Amino acid sequence: MDERWGLTPMVKVEVVVGGEDSAAVTDVFKAAGAVGFTAVTNVSGFGHAGYHQGRLAFNDKNGLVLLMVVLPEEGAADLVAGLRTLLDRRPGVLFVSDTYVSRPGYFR
Amino acid sequence: MDPQPVDGGGGVTTHEWSPPRVAALIDEAARPIPLLWPLSTAIAANPLWDVRDRHWASAVGLAGELFGASGYPSQELMIEAHRAGRITDADLAAADRLLLELRPEGPSADQSGNLERLSAAEAHDRLHGTDLAARTDREVAKWAAAHLGGRAEPPGARLEGNAEGFYPVWVRAVAADRTARRLGLPASVTHSSAVATVAAALAELGVTSEDAALVELTGQLARLPGFAAYAKWRSRWAAPDRNDPGFDLTDFLAVRLAYDTAALAAARAASEGLPTAAAPRHPAPAAARRAEGLRGDVEEAGVQMSAGSGTDRFDPLRWLTAYELHYRDRLLATLDQPRPRPTSSAPAAAQLVFCIDVRSEGIRRHLEAVGDYETFGFAGFFGVPARVVRAGSDEPLDLCPVLIRPTVSIPEEPDRRAALDTDRDLTAAGRSLVAARKGPVASFALAEAAGYALGPLSALRSGAPRAFQALRRFLRARAVASGEPVLVLDGPDAPGDGEQALYAETALRSMGLTDGFARLVVFCGHGSTTENNPYGSALDCGACGAARGATSARIAAAICNRPAVRALLAERGLTIPEATVFVAAEHDTATDAVTVFDPVRDVTPDVRHRLGRLEADLAQAGAALAAERAASLPGAPGGLGGGRGRSHVATRSADWAQVQPEWGLARCAAFIVAARSLTLGRDLERRAFLHSYDRAGDADGAVLETVLTGPMVVAQWISAAYYFSTVDPDVFGAGDKVAHNVVAGVAVYQGAGGDLRVGLPRQAVFDGDRPYHEPMRLLVVVDAPRSRIDSVVDRNQVLGDLIDGQWIHLAARDEDGFWLRSPGSGWPRWQAAADAVDAIAAVGPVPPGDAHPPQKEVITRG
Repeated sequence: MDERWGLTPMVKVEVVVGGEDSAAVTDVFKAAGAVGFTAVTNVSGFGHAGYHQGRLAFNDKNGLVLLMVVLPEEGAADLVAGLRTLLDRRPGVLFVSDTYVSRPGYFR
Repeated sequence: MDPQPVDGGGGVTTHEWSPPRVAALIDEAARPIPLLWPLSTAIAANPLWDVRDRHWASAVGLAGELFGASGYPSQELMIEAHRAGRITDADLAAADRLLLELRPEGPSADQSGNLERLSAAEAHDRLHGTDLAARTDREVAKWAAAHLGGRAEPPGARLEGNAEGFYPVWVRAVAADRTARRLGLPASVTHSSAVATVAAALAELGVTSEDAALVELTGQLARLPGFAAYAKWRSRWAAPDRNDPGFDLTDFLAVRLAYDTAALAAARAASEGLPTAAAPRHPAPAAARRAEGLRGDVEEAGVQMSAGSGTDRFDPLRWLTAYELHYRDRLLATLDQPRPRPTSSAPAAAQLVFCIDVRSEGIRRHLEAVGDYETFGFAGFFGVPARVVRAGSDEPLDLCPVLIRPTVSIPEEPDRRAALDTDRDLTAAGRSLVAARKGPVASFALAEAAGYALGPLSALRSGAPRAFQALRRFLRARAVASGEPVLVLDGPDAPGDGEQALYAETALRSMGLTDGFARLVVFCGHGSTTENNPYGSALDCGACGAARGATSARIAAAICNRPAVRALLAERGLTIPEATVFVAAEHDTATDAVTVFDPVRDVTPDVRHRLGRLEADLAQAGAALAAERAASLPGAPGGLGGGRGRSHVATRSADWAQVQPEWGLARCAAFIVAARSLTLGRDLERRAFLHSYDRAGDADGAVLETVLTGPMVVAQWISAAYYFSTVDPDVFGAGDKVAHNVVAGVAVYQGAGGDLRVGLPRQAVFDGDRPYHEPMRLLVVVDAPRSRIDSVVDRNQVLGDLIDGQWIHLAARDEDGFWLRSPGSGWPRWQAAADAVDAIAAVGPVPPGDAHPPQKEVITRG
């Protein structure tokens, strides 16, 4: 990727999993060298398994959570491989895309 | 699947285990491992929760393979139940019919013996007769306990409150350990991190596929399932900002594998050219247990049963199912009885909201028998997931079920500043005393310095426990001289009015209390007063994170009394009359005393009068319940009627030598989601979680979804914890309290060392050698249309897992009766086995003229 608008190219990885699996995903993030991540809890949506509710009033663990991480290209392959290993055995979806950041030091 | 080629740099491609892939496999490997909360918040958890996507019988089979666990009630217990009529031939026939449809397919579903599930060290032991894995167990358990207790490094090497993990601390500490050198460990570990150590170990052990890696990693964890269970809790459930010693799964595995790989390398070097042994000289505990368990299954399966068809071999699933069907039929027949007609249309003297805990059923039943009270059931945090920042303490208290994180922070302030200082000093002095008592050197100094004072106090505590308890209460009250701390619900540090109104609305609508408010509404939490009991928190309120329920009750009552909250509720169509006053209370389940808190200031004489009458009635109901309970407590004398029952339970509560102060939730069996009208006047024997539900006010099923995905899941955990602690107390139970040794405040050893124990103590589920708890899967009864239940289940995978995998049994009730959800055939109508419906318990006979059809709604009184 070329630099655009003076921004630094990076890779963005997004994962939607059950709340119970969010700690496993963030462990994989950390093992790949990610220095931070964003979590959006209680997300809702519709997919091959039907409609997923958003927030369950008294259960954070069985709702869905969206986890996002941005990291340099060189760490992305291992991270994606780790996440695929995780998602081979449990429900969840994975999105990988190119992205650009203004403060690359935050993501190394 | 093989590990994918990894670019090792410089254009060289190697087969390596990358850290992210290893991290993913560690999580997967830990799925069959139980969860262990620390003793301060001893949550009763389903030990097989993370394999609930399997059929129940399959998960039990897996536990047999990994831990050598027996997952069913013993044959002896079942035969005894059959002799006693607790299981009838009709129940067995009904179980046979049911299992024809529902028995999981495949030879491995019930009990399979996969002896290939051995770690590399176990396999070496098996082949060469060595005891490498057992040596690793000893070393890892030694260092883990030292680390958790802050003793892995010399005094001063570790900062107070440092949450550094097990692996880095062990790397430093083991450098000077001679035993490690003898076992072949190098003086310095070269890997930079725990995950790198695990990755290198997998490579060194020749593991080349993910499946093989999972066998190795799961095998490692299953060697010490107690420490692994605590590590799993730390990794997956604990708040990340804890300041006690870190202990995650990766650290734990890294330390284990460091020992195993070093020992295997040394053993292989030493044994080159030597013949292999035919059998292990020192079978590893877990492996031996697995083999024994499998042998036991085979022998058990070969036993001919005297009951049933006469030719059937003992089939534990069949007998368990029959055992459950018998209870199910009794309960549904009880609920199907004509209900007593409400005798009065006047408003209730008070409405009381109790926790769903099975123990609340008893106090509700007795209170309703004493006076004109309307009761509700709701999770004991009363819908406010609060983190309370306590006066005089740096440790916040999370008052909510573990399935959710606290979302609201509520400061607590002392009634008086000086009282706070005194209280803090007394607490600090108490902690110092405990620390000195347990210190290796300080305990001797303490005996010299304070023995003259503590000796007589100990004598008083042993000889007259209630007098000691009263003296302690009196002295503390004199020293502190303060009322209850004030919960701050107004001002910049408090949650906003809108947020508070939302909590109140959710709770009141969920329990069906939206109109017909009495003058007095009481939120009644619960807690248990016991002495010298490491598992004391297991007797407190699970919905409050294993804490006492008084604070949650006080928060809920205070919120509902705030005019700003009531104004917002009225805007949302939930109008609470101005004259209605909310009050907090707490039921002590060890003594059956109910304490009413916050005697509200500036209340009308009418409310004051009602409060006085309520306290008197609660005392009467508590005395009746104490007498009822005392009859079932181990070692209780006969003739405990009148006030003697209350006296007996109070003495047990204060006795620091008493290992069975109360039965807790033993014999819990059912979770009923319904208006109280369905269960009113029935003696449910303190075995049912009761969650109020107004089916007419929940057309879209939103409330039902909340109840089934929250409180019902918590009840399933409790039910499963009691089940497994009963059917295999050696694997899933915490052992005998008499021989408990507390490890770093986290868990207990049975005796002087070994692994941490998971589950409940033996005394929580056994009466002597006989199980007191009846091990059954939870029966869930929902008073709602079947289509609504289906809709809720369909959109929540966790419910589908529990129902279709037969982790629970589900029954629905509607105008036409009861229906049973069957994974194979929809909702067949409930029909009891003919001779199973007997001895239906009811509180007093129902006069024929008073019988009337089941009501659909809450009995309203005005």
